[in-house]
Amino acid sequence: MKIVRDLLDRVEPLFREGGRFRLFRPIYAAGAAILLSPLDRTRAAPHVRDPLDVKRYMSLVIIALLPCMAASVYFFGLRVLAMVLVSYAAGGAVEVLFAIVRKDDVNEGFLVTGLLFPLVLPPSTPFWMVAVGVVFGVLVGKELFGGTGRNLFNPALVGRVFLALAYPRAMSSSWGIPGSGLFGHVTQFSVDAVSGATPLAAAKSGGLVPLWDLFFGSVSGSAGETSAAAVLLGGAFLLLVGVASWRTVAATLGAFAVMTFALHGGSPMMTLWHLLAGGILFGAFFMATDPVSSPLTKAGRWSYGIIIGVAAALIRNLTGYVEGVMFAILLGNVFAPILDEIFVTARVRRLREEG
Amino acid sequence: MARADKQACATCGKGVCDGKGVVTFKDGVWHINPVAVQVLGICSALAVTNRLENSLVMGAALIFVTVGSNLFVSLLRNITPRRIRMIAEVAIIATFVIVFDQVLKAYYWEMSKQLGPYVGLIITNCIVMGRAEAFALSNRPMVSMVDGLANGLGYAAVLAIIGFFRELIGTGGLFGHQLLSEAWYTPNQLAVLAPGAFIALGFLIAIFNAISGANREEGSQR
Repeated sequence: MKIVRDLLDRVEPLFREGGRFRLFRPIYAAGAAILLSPLDRTRAAPHVRDPLDVKRYMSLVIIALLPCMAASVYFFGLRVLAMVLVSYAAGGAVEVLFAIVRKDDVNEGFLVTGLLFPLVLPPSTPFWMVAVGVVFGVLVGKELFGGTGRNLFNPALVGRVFLALAYPRAMSSSWGIPGSGLFGHVTQFSVDAVSGATPLAAAKSGGLVPLWDLFFGSVSGSAGETSAAAVLLGGAFLLLVGVASWRTVAATLGAFAVMTFALHGGSPMMTLWHLLAGGILFGAFFMATDPVSSPLTKAGRWSYGIIIGVAAALIRNLTGYVEGVMFAILLGNVFAPILDEIFVTARVRRLREEG
Repeated sequence: MARADKQACATCGKGVCDGKGVVTFKDGVWHINPVAVQVLGICSALAVTNRLENSLVMGAALIFVTVGSNLFVSLLRNITPRRIRMIAEVAIIATFVIVFDQVLKAYYWEMSKQLGPYVGLIITNCIVMGRAEAFALSNRPMVSMVDGLANGLGYAAVLAIIGFFRELIGTGGLFGHQLLSEAWYTPNQLAVLAPGAFIALGFLIAIFNAISGANREEGSQR
């Protein structure tokens, strides 16, 4: 620790006002913040006893994503790791550029966006496409709205939708075949990309993948979403530490289940199958619960989840699209601020009437 | 329209702009550019700009209509009863639009089909009506024509820029010719879809405002 502190102290003057690298102060600040806890503390009361800040918050999400990471490397090979690196490098560059222009700090929020983004892409996505997508997501989805905390939409999903609309062929027709056995595809770099079908696409033409494969994850699909077991593990962790709102998750999955149940003539098997297939679990736990783009009020979270769940089920079952979770969550994001507004106003009015 | 009116007159003096053709011209193309500053005529700017060729023809159509309608609205300004001036303006505008539409249909049928209803819809384009109301109605014929030309050019330039980028990014070519090799360039199909038009226009307006300083919010840093 001491060595790190000394090193940071030694280079610090270079980044100060008048120093040689003063323009790049955000990079120094970000490095220092990741390595050590910040030195400036609040001196005057009131002190909040909970040490949960943005950095801790985002670190917990990254820990929760580790099972999904591990599963996707197991099934699709080391290429997924390279996609994560590309995503961090390209998106991080945009982030740093904006921090320099704004003379502001690089925000930890990007660490989550940069990891979530490659996990919702097909594992055979070309690297340049990963870079284009994450740059668009961070630039248009976040920075143009004013940076972390002010974005209306989930930046990772903005990038994902951008790629889906811009390069529909690469984004929907070539899927990697999952590995199997003790080491899966861990030992190989490239993905066995084929013009195959995901379980959901196969289901549209009548073929159902066994439930166990969906749960374990040995099916084709986006890199991080195939293994329901890994998503549930990470998701349970997020709920336990209180980072993800259980209300949002419960409302999303509940509404999705009810809607699917109704659309499939009341078949519990099909409901379970659809819950495990595609991106609904991953979306519900990791995307819908994004603290910035989801509502803050309890009632708002319930309604927001219901909107997402119902929309996802409707798009998946009744339209030409195979999967609708990303559209559903972005739709939910649109309603998030207005839902908060409605419920806060209603509560204020009720309190005022009571006296 | 009230705002454009005020801005126009703030730059060219006390209400009347006679003899200040250059000021009028610069205003129309740059300072109060109808699309980039006033954000008018957006419907057609979004709809036809998926190809550069369409954008250019649409721009030409608007230049023709604004010049013609501004000239005639100005010529008739002293004998037009105030209470029916809107109807008179629309009749004049519609005449020019129909002329252009018929010529297009007669000689460039393919292009006419591509543009669909958007040439006819110029009748309801806010830019044309706005210039007639805000400028031609209170200025002499020649300077009104300059105003029409400038605003038409301002609109056409924005459409051409958006059309250029949308076609190039969306198909990898221009005027239907492939410029960027498929070997290393994958066309970004979002650019030719409707959302691509919104994004392109948004970026263009942002860049334009950053350069020209128009629409700057009060109390902003620069």
